[in-house]
Amino acid sequence: MDPKTSIGFLLPLAVGVAAIGSGLGLGKAVGAAMEAMGRQPEAASKIQTGMIIGAAFIEALTIYALVAVILIK
Amino acid sequence: MNNWLSLLMVAQAEHPVLADTVAHAASHTAEQGAPEFPNVLEILHQTSHGDSFLINLLFQFRIVAFSAIVWLILGLLAYFAFRKRALVPTPIQNFMEWVVESLSNMITGILGERGKKFVPFIGTLFVYIFAMNLFGLIPGMFSPTSKLNTTLALAICVFLYVQFTGLRSFGILGYMHHLAGSPKSTIEWCLVPLNLPLHIIGELARPVSLSLRLFGNITGEDMLLAIFATLGVSILSFTHLPVGIPLQLPFIFLAILTSFVQALVFTLLTTIYFSLMSTHDEEHH
Repeated sequence: MDPKTSIGFLLPLAVGVAAIGSGLGLGKAVGAAMEAMGRQPEAASKIQTGMIIGAAFIEALTIYALVAVILIK
Repeated sequence: MNNWLSLLMVAQAEHPVLADTVAHAASHTAEQGAPEFPNVLEILHQTSHGDSFLINLLFQFRIVAFSAIVWLILGLLAYFAFRKRALVPTPIQNFMEWVVESLSNMITGILGERGKKFVPFIGTLFVYIFAMNLFGLIPGMFSPTSKLNTTLALAICVFLYVQFTGLRSFGILGYMHHLAGSPKSTIEWCLVPLNLPLHIIGELARPVSLSLRLFGNITGEDMLLAIFATLGVSILSFTHLPVGIPLQLPFIFLAILTSFVQALVFTLLTTIYFSLMSTHDEEHH
């Protein structure tokens, strides 16, 4: 196969695989944060700050894949 | 960000030549693979055919030019908000005070009372990044944060300031001690050769991850909008009329949300880095 064609097939797939992991992680993190907020509504703002930071770290992994795709293409 | 469409329609009515240029710019960027909305400077550059020195210069430095527009707007806003300070604030002064106060509350909530001196730096970062992210949604403009130059510059500023804060609050020896993982017992001192490179790599990875995260998110968001706008135009292209379906409309709301969240994340992470660099010692005392 032409290398460009294979790259064209594989790069979106790479983002997809990265997104699967990020999605699982985000689901777990946000789910736990929501549960904690439901149990302790008065601590909601603190939990939210922590959740956003954690979500940023998790989401960064997919973004790295996306950046790699943009740079390689 | 339906600027492709609106510009095309306005241009078609006034200058047929300009409309061709806009269409050409759009198709040209589409050929390169990463679709982008044409911005004002790109269009001016193509219509002037590189004759005007000023436009060439601005086009060369278009990222700086657009961020300059952003900080000019922010500066003028601040100037007019606080020109006549009053006890009973005008609406714009009220708004700015609300922004400053909520940012100050957020930062001191994490850093404690010591965080007061970091509020100007971190607050400015938030306002500036948020404005730059939103700037791409204005027709004819683009987000300076969707280029790595801007985000890397911001992240390097943060990196240097954080290291400076660490040096000032720990002293040079304390800073080295902190980098070595704050060893206390003999076993921890034995682990220093392992800890030191890890900490140094960790410090150096921060600006990279900060800048890449912001750059990737904003680029992805802008590309998504451009792709859907192109799709909406190309669906109706068989009619040969300058109309299209604004398919990107739902994603604009997503883009506003992303802009806010990414600015918040950048700010929060900066705050966390400051807290890691300055609280470490005081917690034990």
